[in-house]
Amino acid sequence: MTQEVTTKATFPSVEWFNAIKELINNDEAYKRHGTCDAAVGIKVPDLQKYYKLTFEAFELEEVKECDEAEAENTDFWLQQTYAKWKEMIENIRANGRADLHHTLNTLDIEDPDDLARSNDGYRRDLFYRFNQSFQHFFDASSQIETQFV
Amino acid sequence: MSDASAIDIPADLVAVAEEKDLPLDLVRRALALGFPPDAVKQNLSMPGVTAEAAEAFISEQEKIRAGGVITIPPELAEISRAAKYPDELIIRALKLGAPTAMLINQIKAGITPQQAEGFIAQQEALRGGEGGATQLDLSWMKVPTEWGVRVKPGPKGLTVGMINVGTYADIPDYWPYHTEMPRGAYPIPGVPDMGYSIFEKAELWSENAADLYEESIQRRWRPSSDIPWTTMEDLPDVIEKAVCQLCTHISERSLVAGDIVGRWLPEMSYGYHEVKLYLSSAEFDVARWFEVFRKRALSNGGGIGVQSPGYFHRAMIDGRAWTEVSAALHILASSQLLMLFQIGYYTSHNDAERTIFAYCIQDVARQRAYGSQHLRFFLTKKLDRRAEIQHVLNKYEVLLDYEWEKDVPLREALMILLGGGASADQMADGFSKLEYFRALWANDYIKQLAAAGLGDRRDKVHYTIKKYLPQPEAAVAAAA
Repeated sequence: MTQEVTTKATFPSVEWFNAIKELINNDEAYKRHGTCDAAVGIKVPDLQKYYKLTFEAFELEEVKECDEAEAENTDFWLQQTYAKWKEMIENIRANGRADLHHTLNTLDIEDPDDLARSNDGYRRDLFYRFNQSFQHFFDASSQIETQFV
Repeated sequence: MSDASAIDIPADLVAVAEEKDLPLDLVRRALALGFPPDAVKQNLSMPGVTAEAAEAFISEQEKIRAGGVITIPPELAEISRAAKYPDELIIRALKLGAPTAMLINQIKAGITPQQAEGFIAQQEALRGGEGGATQLDLSWMKVPTEWGVRVKPGPKGLTVGMINVGTYADIPDYWPYHTEMPRGAYPIPGVPDMGYSIFEKAELWSENAADLYEESIQRRWRPSSDIPWTTMEDLPDVIEKAVCQLCTHISERSLVAGDIVGRWLPEMSYGYHEVKLYLSSAEFDVARWFEVFRKRALSNGGGIGVQSPGYFHRAMIDGRAWTEVSAALHILASSQLLMLFQIGYYTSHNDAERTIFAYCIQDVARQRAYGSQHLRFFLTKKLDRRAEIQHVLNKYEVLLDYEWEKDVPLREALMILLGGGASADQMADGFSKLEYFRALWANDYIKQLAAAGLGDRRDKVHYTIKKYLPQPEAAVAAAA
């Protein structure tokens, strides 16, 4: 009898993002979305935690913790409060993927300042162009046991 | 006849012969007769081939080539004559090395003598006619183009952008050829003009075109099977009608967008194939939108709704320059279309609708990416035409607003979707939410213009757009 092993990781942390990286880099369904080239910042302002994710071709190539300036020196960054991040991740965990109210698209629409932000309108559009790859990435967090700080 | 003992046998042919336990000398004799290695390999691979049969066939062929009399085997003669095949035609086929069994099968399959004559003549020509020695020109092999190019695939495979190396990476500002010659090929004289009208890079180029083409191909999707159609359930009639009206509108403008780009593709000369490739894939995108929204309208108890007024779209069709049309279609119209897709996504009632709009958002963003980066390139190269672009956008913004005002069915459908119904309260709620989306669109459009190099247009946009933009702090303070 096999026992399913669930990775545990704390959000936000490099380990949490790397756990998802491991999942999607070995996921044929992720690759089927097509190539995705984007440097994406992650900002959790109220915790002052910042990360940079580098997507290239069919993989998430690199995850690193960085300062706020570097998170903003990307194609675009995803920014919401810790409470909103937590709600999104818990929703994904509960449903196996984000329900309509917690997808990146919906959260972006509902935030007047946008979930996806950029200093450049063209680079910001990568959020739309590769949207289903990014959604697949966060939806994969349903497969790990997320702990919160 | 050549010396068979000196002929080298390709390794794969050796393998087949050894597998069939056929002497290699037989294979050499077949090659010496002029049969192509692939044909020999194919024949040897057929079931039932033995050394004896091969020996008999090759001996017969050697006899034929030596000037011997060709006789038609009786079993073949019986069938070919019944099918009214002239003996001379059968003899020509045998001389080409056609096995008797194959000829019998072909005749039984209904191949007419006329069809056989065409094929046999073609094979004889390939073998160099009666003499058997093919007369080749081969001067084309000395073409003075760059040779020895060996691009290796990268993490994304072998992409269009990657093969732009050496002289093939030279994308000139002006393309001097009026024919369909691909970039990098060597021109020949006397080829008629193809009638292109765009020969200047500035008038169509976008640095991201090759990447957008690859992206479009990579991220393609199939409305028939990638949409979870079975997740749809009956909706209240008023909601279904609103969804169908939105689907009708998007289907219509998708077809128009296809016509617009399709009209301009033949104007673009072949020096800038990256753009032609990307726009061809964009044509496919809009065809897919038409398909998927028509399918949505006709798969859940609804139907097709009311036609759009068409003022804006007809103006784009009448545009006289590609950059003008692209700015209107790929920046202004596509940004508004993104808003419609976002509303569709936000109000989706099932997984099918959610998936449709999610994919469409990806597609339309690529079109914006071409539009903004083409306009940026154009403005960088054509400093004196900046005012012209402002003028063009003035015109199209007015027309788009007029279209919006006249398209009551679309606006009411959007309000119903956003409000969740058609009661007074719901429509008021829908109106309020539609205004929110309009503000998102206006601000997004301004960012697209800035990305295209028109950041100063913020103060020049039509007032129906400007009213949604945040006012500078100084203006707000002055008003207070």
